[in-house]
Amino acid sequence: MNGWLAAACALVVGGLGPSLWGAARGTTGRRVVAQNMATLLLCLVLLLLAQGYGRPSYTDLALVVCVLGPAGTLVYIRLLGEEIEKHPPGARLLTPAVTIGAPATVVPLCVATGPGRAMAKLLVIGALLVAGGLVTTRALRRG
Amino acid sequence: MRGPIRRWPLAAGLAATAALLVAACLRLPHFGGDRHPYGDRAVRTALLQRTANTVSSVNFDQRALDTLGEESILFAAVLGTVVLLRQTRDEHRVAPQPAPVPPPLRRYGTLALPVALLIGLYVIAHGQLSPGGGFQGGVVVATALHLLYVAVDYRALERIRPVGPYELADGVGEAAYVLLGAAGLLAGSAYLANTLPHGTFNTMASGGTVPLLNAAVGMEVASGVVVLLAHFLGQALEIVGEEGERT
Amino acid sequence: MGDALDDALLAAGLLLVAAAATAAALCRDPARQAVLLSLLGLGLALLFTVLQAPDVGLSQLAVGSAVTPLMLLLTVRKVRRRKRHE
Repeated sequence: MNGWLAAACALVVGGLGPSLWGAARGTTGRRVVAQNMATLLLCLVLLLLAQGYGRPSYTDLALVVCVLGPAGTLVYIRLLGEEIEKHPPGARLLTPAVTIGAPATVVPLCVATGPGRAMAKLLVIGALLVAGGLVTTRALRRG
Repeated sequence: MRGPIRRWPLAAGLAATAALLVAACLRLPHFGGDRHPYGDRAVRTALLQRTANTVSSVNFDQRALDTLGEESILFAAVLGTVVLLRQTRDEHRVAPQPAPVPPPLRRYGTLALPVALLIGLYVIAHGQLSPGGGFQGGVVVATALHLLYVAVDYRALERIRPVGPYELADGVGEAAYVLLGAAGLLAGSAYLANTLPHGTFNTMASGGTVPLLNAAVGMEVASGVVVLLAHFLGQALEIVGEEGERT
Repeated sequence: MGDALDDALLAAGLLLVAAAATAAALCRDPARQAVLLSLLGLGLALLFTVLQAPDVGLSQLAVGSAVTPLMLLLTVRKVRRRKRHE
């Protein structure tokens, strides 16, 4: 039983699925919140998959998502700002997802990896994820 | 061409494509098997050429000519966009109003830009070792620069993005790929043959020409995407028609 | 057990891609469609990774995360600006 893959699968079914649901309905603001949540979750899923498959080089995908994901959300905020402001979305789930979800994934992975370059990379991804997540959440609340 | 006349070529094309697809699917190896005639050969050659990432070995060594084609498609697409989205005689530019950006977002933008840039360069430089390469890294580099637009201000982006040099770099990247291919001919082998020393497996200096071609593609893609987005941004934010439409 | 998990991940990835693509095709507003398209991109990246093709997944992520939405939304803005004037 590969716990990492099981966790990734659970995140896809319980996290990415509902995010897609959120992105498919409701106001534009709600959809962008769902998109932001989805990039965060996908980053965590990719980290878990890299560990689950025993392929450390797969973490490069997570490394790219953790900067491009927030960049994508900021694109929406910049160009759809007026529409989002009309109906400011609730983003209550985002902050706990970032502040609890990211460490809850990265810390066990660090323990499993052990000290070294791979662990430094994981910590960088975690830090970028938290920074990007907090900034985009704040920007979304403002509309 | 209207109505049925236009539909017939489409129907014929679709039918032919469907027939080819079905014929190809019938002879595919089974899904999920661990043996594949092409895969086994590609991996063997990649190991011989000391390229840890077999996909890069296929893209930039074994089938490097195909990648030249793909690169040229992107080059042509960028060129087409430049022509289509140019400023015409009855249009003029109006500087867009600066958008209010909250300070934390601005700080994030200025800090994330160098990090994203570094990640992009890392992806380009490690193409022969891990997933990624010139195309993926190039797009990341271009996106990194546009963090200035989405998180800081359009004028900040304009300051670091004089379109001329990026257009030049786009052409230089494309030319570098073509010339690197010719180096194979000069070395007495085939066009785009991997004639450089293969180096030590799984180190930065491995794969022979693979990292060099990756760098050429990275340069072309990064500057190509920057030029592409520059024209999109110009049309959407700056250029207005003679009737005086406003932002 | 490992195989069952692989199959579950593959099924989840395929379902996600199919659902996102259908939702994107059914959406009539281009701006909202852009959001769904980026979800589709994330789903595809997941699917490619599950199928052990991380290079393709990385390409999808690089292009689909920010560059495609930016191009789409800039086009929407240009078209709307012109419409508003007419």
